[in-house]
Amino acid sequence: MRLALAIASLLILVIHGLVFYDQFFHKWEKFQTAYFDQAKVMAKSESERAALDGRSPRIEQILVTQFGEMRVDRCTTCHISADDPRFEKYAHPLKAHPFSAALGDKEINGKWERRHKFSDFGCTVCHDGQGRGLKEYYGHGKDHYWPDPMLGYVAQDTWRAEYKPKLVGKGYMEANCAQCHTEENFASTPTITKGRQLFFEKNCYGCHRIEGISNGTLAPDLSEVGKKFKVDYLWESVVDPRANLATSVMPKFNLTDDEVRALVIFLKSRRGINFNETSLERYRARIEEKKPEAVPVATTTGTGTVVPSTVPTPEAASALARGEKLIAEKSCVACHKLGDKDGGIAPDLSFEGLLKDGPWMMKHFKDPRAEMPDSIMPSFNFSEPDYQAMTDYLLSLKTPPPTTTAADTYKNLCARCHGEQGDGKGISWLYLDPAPRDLTKAAFMSSKPDERLIKSIQEGVAGASMPAWGKVLNETQVRDLVAYIRQTFTKEPARVMAAHQVPDQNPITMTPDSVKRGEQIYLMRCTGCHGRKADGKGPNSLDIIPRPRNLRNQFFVQSMTDRRLFDSILYGVQGTAMPPWIDYGMTKNDVGDVVNYLRSFNQPKK
Amino acid sequence: MPMGKNIISTKPTTTEDTNRRKFLLWLSSLGLFGSAVISVVSNLVFIKPRATYGQPNRFSVGKPDDYPPGTRIALDNHRICIVREENKIAAVSTTCTHLGCIVGLSETGFACPCHGSRFDQDGNVTGGPAPKPLAWYKINLAPNGELEVDKDAEINAGTYLNL
Repeated sequence: MRLALAIASLLILVIHGLVFYDQFFHKWEKFQTAYFDQAKVMAKSESERAALDGRSPRIEQILVTQFGEMRVDRCTTCHISADDPRFEKYAHPLKAHPFSAALGDKEINGKWERRHKFSDFGCTVCHDGQGRGLKEYYGHGKDHYWPDPMLGYVAQDTWRAEYKPKLVGKGYMEANCAQCHTEENFASTPTITKGRQLFFEKNCYGCHRIEGISNGTLAPDLSEVGKKFKVDYLWESVVDPRANLATSVMPKFNLTDDEVRALVIFLKSRRGINFNETSLERYRARIEEKKPEAVPVATTTGTGTVVPSTVPTPEAASALARGEKLIAEKSCVACHKLGDKDGGIAPDLSFEGLLKDGPWMMKHFKDPRAEMPDSIMPSFNFSEPDYQAMTDYLLSLKTPPPTTTAADTYKNLCARCHGEQGDGKGISWLYLDPAPRDLTKAAFMSSKPDERLIKSIQEGVAGASMPAWGKVLNETQVRDLVAYIRQTFTKEPARVMAAHQVPDQNPITMTPDSVKRGEQIYLMRCTGCHGRKADGKGPNSLDIIPRPRNLRNQFFVQSMTDRRLFDSILYGVQGTAMPPWIDYGMTKNDVGDVVNYLRSFNQPKK
Repeated sequence: MPMGKNIISTKPTTTEDTNRRKFLLWLSSLGLFGSAVISVVSNLVFIKPRATYGQPNRFSVGKPDDYPPGTRIALDNHRICIVREENKIAAVSTTCTHLGCIVGLSETGFACPCHGSRFDQDGNVTGGPAPKPLAWYKINLAPNGELEVDKDAEINAGTYLNL
């Protein structure tokens, strides 16, 4: 008993002692004592020595009120000699902060004077880190939950190992310079300038919005991205967009490390705060926010004429070269395929001149959703001559890939969207809406006669990414292709379907009354899948593949004959979730009203 | 066999045993008493916070050149007045010793606008309810060439720093 009591009480004493030691003997006290001792040795006068004698270790603190929220900086508790030039050659934490002309420090009469005085700016304004922490682990922000670890100095344990060494370096601190020095091309922040240029060069601005810089709407707003994320997350997101969001449609840009670094620093500087502005000024600036000007590019000539694929004139050749250069520079291949470069997201442009014409391309450049309502291509703000040059260049691409056999044809032309296996899951299927047809779906494929498939191939599908291959393939090739698809993927011959009793023309005339009745029926029967807005995004649509049609895709709806609409509605679409509504008591008159309703908001734009 | 034999040990108590018991008792007491002492010391030290969130008491007020000879400049945010005479410089508190108002500079020295206390150039009371003269704070020339005032260190009135 006594032995146990003795051991227990000694244990308590030891624990107590350890806690006491931890709470009352700090590393920073040692640093401060070392500084006082050294400074005393260096002291030139007796008064100086006396002043040092009077000092004892204590928590040093700078309160910074001018920059954003009030900051409490206790960094000088350890880095006590940061502002003592005599300690220039010492090791951290006693090393003096170096003077630098790039930071605005000035040398007057052989004595340096700081532009950013510690008493006004503190330390964390520039360096980040946690100003209140008195232990290295907390002060430098190594704590996983501290949002702003010391920029360029600290790599957190949780960061991806292969990125860690890249995230260290003084350059990252520029991100904080830009909190106040927001002007473009500020001399002391060259990396930010480079990052900003890349943001435009690589067309990031087409998708992303940054307050006061760009207005993209497709991708997340980056105005405050630097406040939300650490540099490792930013690096990862730039290099591997899918790393953090599996459904991200951002292309991989294959940038060099230096380029990524510049972009990351530029993004880290986007914190939504400008310490130079008051909130009132910010508010005013937002009101006056203008759309970004088109990126200025030295323009030569925009002829506007379609360049023949034969020998181009010298003048046209230079325009073509400019178009080629633009396409290469503007990162089109980050999404599109062109020659041996492939972004894996958007259609192949390698023989675009065969598929589309000049006016279509110009229209598509200016408003990508003009002909393809669900296209995810961003609207870039290039100049008219640039668009013209790019159009001219694309029109000159008229070399079709070799298509000797039907299998070759499928592999070279169709597989990119419909997939090697014909399952509609080619590399770009995720980004296309409407999605490519699943050619293995026998129920759908075998219910459609050859003629219908041939027509879809030859003329394309309006409002979808399916181009009119009739301009590339002759009829025999198309027929062979359909046979090949049926044989290889569908594995079932076309069924001869019983003739459906559907009218060629809508028997109900288009009247406001009919449209109103059609709307009522639509609301009752169709909204579950096609949605209240008829955009194909009804509540059930998420579970259905292929997805319900977007009935606001006017190019698609216009291309549908009354006969096909009646057929699809009354008898359903085989291989999809569309049921035969005739079984649920819909009459031809009802369908006529619904068709009128659908046509009423799909009139061609005037 | 009688019951008692089992309960009460018949083994005689040796000096060795007594020593061991005493030693253990001594160890236990050391442990408990030591912990108690550490607790008391900790509590006494903990009563005073090591850091507060106010403005720090030692701060930089800029270079001596910012204060040409003959100036008296009140720094209201720090509640001090920098006095420079030729090559001598000092920091005088502008917190009134009466109720803590900020005293203003006047022709003859300092004056409290609220309760009428008056002080001469050196901070000595010349009138009003103030019970004590204004404090003088230690002022040093820091290695970076700036003046550093330490409000934690009061010095005798009239003690200047020679530049």
